[in-house]
Amino acid sequence: MSSTIVDSAAEFDVRDYLRKEMMPHFLCPGCGHGIALRALLWAVHELGMDKDKLAVVSGIGCAGRLSAYIDANTFHVTHGRPLAYATGLALARPDLHVVVITGDGDCLAIGGNHLIHACRRNLKLTCLMLNNEVYGMTGGQVSPTTSETRLTTTTPLGNSEPNFDACALAAAAGASFVGREVTHHVPKLKELIRAGLAHPGFAFVEVLSDCTEIFGRKNELGSSAEMVLRQKSELRPSAYRDTVNTPFRSNDLPTGVLSKRDRPEYGAAYRKAAAAQRADAAAKDGARTGKGEF
Amino acid sequence: MSRPNASNSSAVSEELRPTAAAAKAREPMNVLIVGVGGQGVIMVSKALASLAQSKGFEVKQSEVHGMAKRGGTVFSHVRFGPQVWSPTIPKGEADILVALEWAEGLRWLAYLKPDSGIFICDTKRIVPPFACLNRRPGAPLRYSRETPAEVREHVAQAYAIDATRMAEELGNERAANVVLIGALSTALDFPAEDWEKSLAQFVPKKTIAVNLDAFRLGRSWIAEARTRVIEAEAPATRIPVPAESPYSVRLEITQEWCKSCDICVKLCPERCLRLNAERIVELAQPDKCTGCRLCELLCPDFAIRVHLDRVAARGAPA
Repeated sequence: MSSTIVDSAAEFDVRDYLRKEMMPHFLCPGCGHGIALRALLWAVHELGMDKDKLAVVSGIGCAGRLSAYIDANTFHVTHGRPLAYATGLALARPDLHVVVITGDGDCLAIGGNHLIHACRRNLKLTCLMLNNEVYGMTGGQVSPTTSETRLTTTTPLGNSEPNFDACALAAAAGASFVGREVTHHVPKLKELIRAGLAHPGFAFVEVLSDCTEIFGRKNELGSSAEMVLRQKSELRPSAYRDTVNTPFRSNDLPTGVLSKRDRPEYGAAYRKAAAAQRADAAAKDGARTGKGEF
Repeated sequence: MSRPNASNSSAVSEELRPTAAAAKAREPMNVLIVGVGGQGVIMVSKALASLAQSKGFEVKQSEVHGMAKRGGTVFSHVRFGPQVWSPTIPKGEADILVALEWAEGLRWLAYLKPDSGIFICDTKRIVPPFACLNRRPGAPLRYSRETPAEVREHVAQAYAIDATRMAEELGNERAANVVLIGALSTALDFPAEDWEKSLAQFVPKKTIAVNLDAFRLGRSWIAEARTRVIEAEAPATRIPVPAESPYSVRLEITQEWCKSCDICVKLCPERCLRLNAERIVELAQPDKCTGCRLCELLCPDFAIRVHLDRVAARGAPA
């Protein structure tokens, strides 16, 4: 990579961080994932990260596809397992900044177990969950975060399952940094991701994104611009929820940094234990060989 | 709510300013203090209310400052007299209107008694963001264009004081409200030393000296203004408007990446973008674009890049 060094003091240009030969990306017109990708790259730029030291792991789905467009070390892995691959990567290469990009279905349904255990271990990596309430790539099936009464191809009468609050789940499972933001507020989203990237532990960031072509069309949510604007007019503040007849999201979803705790980081603890064990074994070895000589 | 009728208004024209003696009569004295959040409207009304209370008057004070923490409209009604029932002053019933900001003063002018009200106003301009015609630095502002002379024609007694500059010259711009208290004190019959005592309670300890100076300055300014008309500068000329913006805006649009999602077109605050015949975004009104970058930030396809090119300062060597 010839252009690994980007001057972090220079003004941010997202194209410095993209694989331009892959562009334009495959996302539908108006998809919020593109905005979230910009926010991530902007945060990376502001932190002055070397692109060679950035490792992006992603699963399957529209969100999972994003890693292909980032000019860094990227790893596109099996469905639901990006956190598992990332755990191995972060343990083996503590010098890398490991970022996981995952979707709501990828992270909460197929990879639900990986999420809670990654949160529990508190390994230093950043998990960016792009929540668009639907499985967009496979045609719009219901996902764990689909709001109640919403139409999807598998809930033609409206979704009747209660949905997941991913941030509450991550915080309960032990993630030491949990935050949420909408794509409408790009600078705030950038700040949140930046805080997550700088956090010395497991950072879980949920991005409320729009699926315009599949979810928006099915539920008649209007144009891309209307969907972006609705994030502001109908989602927040949560206190207004009761007055809105058709809330965009069924839950009260607060945004910002929701939980930040000081917990021991797994990678450091693991390396310490491993080093202690190695020293122990070496001492035993030394004692045994010493005995033999005697 | 009886008001002196037209026939005897000529008799009182010599002594227009209401006195504490007048307040002792049945009608309470109504003082309305208005301004912008952060200027010290509440402090002025507190000093007045506490002084009136110490003189044995019944005082009612009512203010709205909630959302105005900084930059919003703030007003405070102070009523005092032998007996005060309502805490608010009805329209057209204020004896004195003290405004800490020019446009706020004009906003509340209708509350002043039409035939005998005293209007004391700072010519300071605080332009709210929504009064900016566009967001380019130095753009024309939608702000009241009335000059002090024009306002004086409609008010029984009006004083337009450049209190902020006077306070600045004393060394503390924030004492502007106390300059206006000084001006207000001449319209009420409380002794100056009692005013100073009341003031000292409400200003920070370190700034008592400068505030007392400001108070005396305000008083002497009014005394001078009574003897001759001081032509206050029209407020519109006070703020220098830069002739041109310090940068020029250029939009770089990667047409092959645009997917016609229309987000930038609909969310542009200046509505200066559009989709062309091929449904590709283009800058339709380049002169309206302020370079706010919203289109760049919200473009999911990275098709827009906003460049703010610095323009060399005028007069600088080429």
